Amino acid sequence: MNMNKKVSFTALFLIVSLIFTMTSGFVFPVSAQKKQVSLTAIVAEPKERWDLLFNTALQKLKQKHPGLDIKLDYRVLPYDATRTQILTAMAGKTPIDLISADQIWLGEFAQGGFLTDLSDRAKTWGRQSDWYQTNWDGGKYNGKVYGIWAWTDIRSMWYWKDLLNKAGVNPESLQTWDGYLAGSKALSNALKAQGIQPMHLVGASHSPDMWYPYLWMLGGEILKQKSGHPTKGTYWYPSFNSTQGVKALGFLKQQVDAGIKPQVNHFWGQEFADRKFAVMLEGSWLLGTFPRDQWPTINHKVGMLPVFPVPNKNTKSTTMMGGWILSIPQTSQNKDLAWELLTTMVDPSVLTPMLQKEGYLPTQKPIGEGPYAVKLNATIPYYKEMISMIPTAHSRPNIPEYPQIADSIKQAIDEVYYGMKDPKQALNDAAAKSAKALGW
Amino acid sequence: MNGTMQKEPFRNNRVWFFADRTLVYALIAILLFVTLAPLIWVFSTSFKRNEESISFPPKFLPENITFDNYKFVLTDPGLVRSLINSFIVSIGSTTLSVVVSALGGYAFARFEFKAKNLIMSVILGLFMIPVVINIIPLYTMLSAAGMLNSSLALILTFQILIIPLNILLLKNYFETIPKDLEESALIDGCSRLGVLRRITIPLSMPGFAIAAVLAFRFSWNEFILPIVLANRPDSMVFQVALYQFISLYRIEWGYLTAGITLAIIPVLVLMLVFQKQMIRGLTLGAIRE
Amino acid sequence: MSNILAKAEPYLFLTPAFAILLIFLIFPLFWNIYISFHDVSFITILKNWEYSGWTNFVDLLNDPNFYTSLRTTVLFVAGSVALQFTIGMLMAVLLSQKVRAAGVLRAIFIIPWTISAVIAAFSFKFIFDYNFGILNYIFQQIGLQPVGWLSDPNIVIWSLVIANVWYGTPFTMLFITAGLLSINPSLYEAAVIDGATKFRSFLGITLPLLKPFIVINLILITMWSVNFFDLQLVMTGGGPLFASTTASLYMYRQAFEFGLLSKGAAAGLILIIINISVAFVYLKLLKR
Repeated sequence: MNMNKKVSFTALFLIVSLIFTMTSGFVFPVSAQKKQVSLTAIVAEPKERWDLLFNTALQKLKQKHPGLDIKLDYRVLPYDATRTQILTAMAGKTPIDLISADQIWLGEFAQGGFLTDLSDRAKTWGRQSDWYQTNWDGGKYNGKVYGIWAWTDIRSMWYWKDLLNKAGVNPESLQTWDGYLAGSKALSNALKAQGIQPMHLVGASHSPDMWYPYLWMLGGEILKQKSGHPTKGTYWYPSFNSTQGVKALGFLKQQVDAGIKPQVNHFWGQEFADRKFAVMLEGSWLLGTFPRDQWPTINHKVGMLPVFPVPNKNTKSTTMMGGWILSIPQTSQNKDLAWELLTTMVDPSVLTPMLQKEGYLPTQKPIGEGPYAVKLNATIPYYKEMISMIPTAHSRPNIPEYPQIADSIKQAIDEVYYGMKDPKQALNDAAAKSAKALGW
Repeated sequence: MNGTMQKEPFRNNRVWFFADRTLVYALIAILLFVTLAPLIWVFSTSFKRNEESISFPPKFLPENITFDNYKFVLTDPGLVRSLINSFIVSIGSTTLSVVVSALGGYAFARFEFKAKNLIMSVILGLFMIPVVINIIPLYTMLSAAGMLNSSLALILTFQILIIPLNILLLKNYFETIPKDLEESALIDGCSRLGVLRRITIPLSMPGFAIAAVLAFRFSWNEFILPIVLANRPDSMVFQVALYQFISLYRIEWGYLTAGITLAIIPVLVLMLVFQKQMIRGLTLGAIRE
Repeated sequence: MSNILAKAEPYLFLTPAFAILLIFLIFPLFWNIYISFHDVSFITILKNWEYSGWTNFVDLLNDPNFYTSLRTTVLFVAGSVALQFTIGMLMAVLLSQKVRAAGVLRAIFIIPWTISAVIAAFSFKFIFDYNFGILNYIFQQIGLQPVGWLSDPNIVIWSLVIANVWYGTPFTMLFITAGLLSINPSLYEAAVIDGATKFRSFLGITLPLLKPFIVINLILITMWSVNFFDLQLVMTGGGPLFASTTASLYMYRQAFEFGLLSKGAAAGLILIIINISVAFVYLKLLKR
């Protein structure tokens, strides 16, 4: 093509594309009788669960409102992008009707004025007593309800039965710190030739999550209230560098000393499914790495202990809970309808099929214990054991400064992993940084 | 020379710097290997069925070659829509940036004016800004203008990634063209724009070719801006849509690698197509004496 | 009358470019400068932005992690630029020779750069993985010890450099090629007639004429390496022990992970100053 032809072709294309783009944002009106309502949601991946949930919930919503033409536009974004998008949408005052918030973001979003106070609506709804206490409280900030914790996950110990057999390790012995370390040595000897590592140790950015259970089981806390704050009177103060914290971090050090390598890349259970490790402390989502048709028989090959190892037999184990909270942004222009959508989504009849398919755990008793539990029990391996961990599970603080505190703790863990500081020093340094971040 | 172009037969006029031909080819072979090695696995996985792809140790040759992954990516309505969006945005952005940068580069190359150095420094300085800190103000601005999720907004926003670069490139290019060619046309009564269009640009085709490739690539590859400014499912661009295969817990390797392979093609094709323009510049360059 | 028009001509030529940059770059820049002097975070963005003077900058300069990130940045940028420039230059020069199918080869060499940064980073994350990665697999096959590419704090930054070099070198190749193609071939003929050796032609003719392209190229690839953070974010998240946290990643995390937008903006401004200073140094050094 010679020069002139190229120029005119490109110009034509440009004009066509401009026309196309300007009309592509155009909303075509539907039937004149029904009133049109468009709901927008920003949620975090993976997509499948939202497809399931929104489809069913939207159907029900439409049935309840025959006079309305309800459209739901939901964006599924990666974790970081979800957070960024919520922030920018709030800053730009874009109307959004529903968001999925990580439990640790709640305080920040609430304090920033992003979220609608749902306390009154929740009271009228009246299902508070259906929720497990920790999960209900997790949706509250400063005494007000800002979100409903829709589902959760717990972390527990998974192991390959045949590999433990081969090494002559009794799974029950792994429940204590000493047993865990001894088991690691035995497994290492037996499996070295096959290139399989004994225990998995998290060295990725969420390593604090896998350390907290040890802190909690010893009676420690990440933060506690303290008076004398420069601006807030009484506010949170780091307490993770207590003796319990030091002891807890000491167990991680013992693992490293026993030859267990911290893993900087994390594949969320895939590495266990691929038999790179004999034992892995991982979240309940690990089941998702196995094909669904294997679930009924998976307990033949894979064992699960609903514990984190404890220092001695008298200590009760605990775990960390995660999951997602559903909230309604302040910018929503359809708050009542959004609330209806939200409550429909967490209705046991709507939520249970999704949990069943994805292997998530409920935050409400009707699904955890009632008739719906039977269904889940039948399809999700180790369901009863996982549910049993929820009442004693802890969750992380949801205050705005949490990301910075977690970052300091991660640094402390790394320093111990790489032998740069001893646990006490590392935690004290982290506490100093955290205190500063908290405004002390 | 009054601006008419003589058609010279294409001369393979490249200069030989290296004494040893084998050395040249050996080096090229090494570079080829290093360039393509990380992609071999990507390429071969795109032809494997999803279950095969996550095996370890990695298998390089698929056991059963399947085109299903490509079929899926090329027929899924959401993905196809995002591909179209990417093309619209990239082509629009390229055209706009080339036109704007040609004008700007010409100004710097041919004129002497008071604020010349200052403006040049400002443009270069603006280019130094990391894009990520602009996300929130850009979003707020576009949201207020109701331009979120529009290709036009992306076309305009992407200019910040390209204009300063292309202005510099074309400026350098224009400066290598002898002024007397233009002088004679100006004396004959041609306007500046006319000179630019009829004389300078044709002689700078390699520069334009490369400017176009650069502009297209920056627009095609961009991920962070679109994922914030245009994440409505029907206005997503391809790179963003591809990312949905990389879910935290489960990676759809087959679809992902097929998508990556497809994403490589447009810029590649553009490079191949524009090579001719680059070589044409060599021929014309010989006339510039 | 025509005199004024003539004087305004260059500015008219520059208007489209400047208009776009004004709206899409200058406005955001001022926004960032403004918030860097106030207290703006996720929790205050919808409320009153309190004036905070230089606090954000002082906090930044008092944060040991920031200094670590600057040091890491120097390593990352120096390694990336040195390798990108050398290899890119080599590619451009090699392919400007009488090589068969040079066009196709150029197109192949550009492939790494056609992938989006996020996906390239993701691929390298897998290639470098200690347990699953192909590199360690090959190492073990040939009897070498596996390397902690992303888990060894001393090595991790160099793994990132490798990824960055693979990814970004095509730009130098392209840009220098543009430069090579702008050189009049007859200049070489004249030199050969004068008896110059091939290498001497390269030094005496090519390099000097390439200088404007080289200078701009160096400024740009340095700047891009300084600003780059997608790679680090996806491949390592900045760890272990912050050994892979460059200033750009530090800035991103302050702004979006911690929600401290003002501190992020302050860090961003410092990065801009660094970029501009480096550009100055290049221009000064290469003006001779």
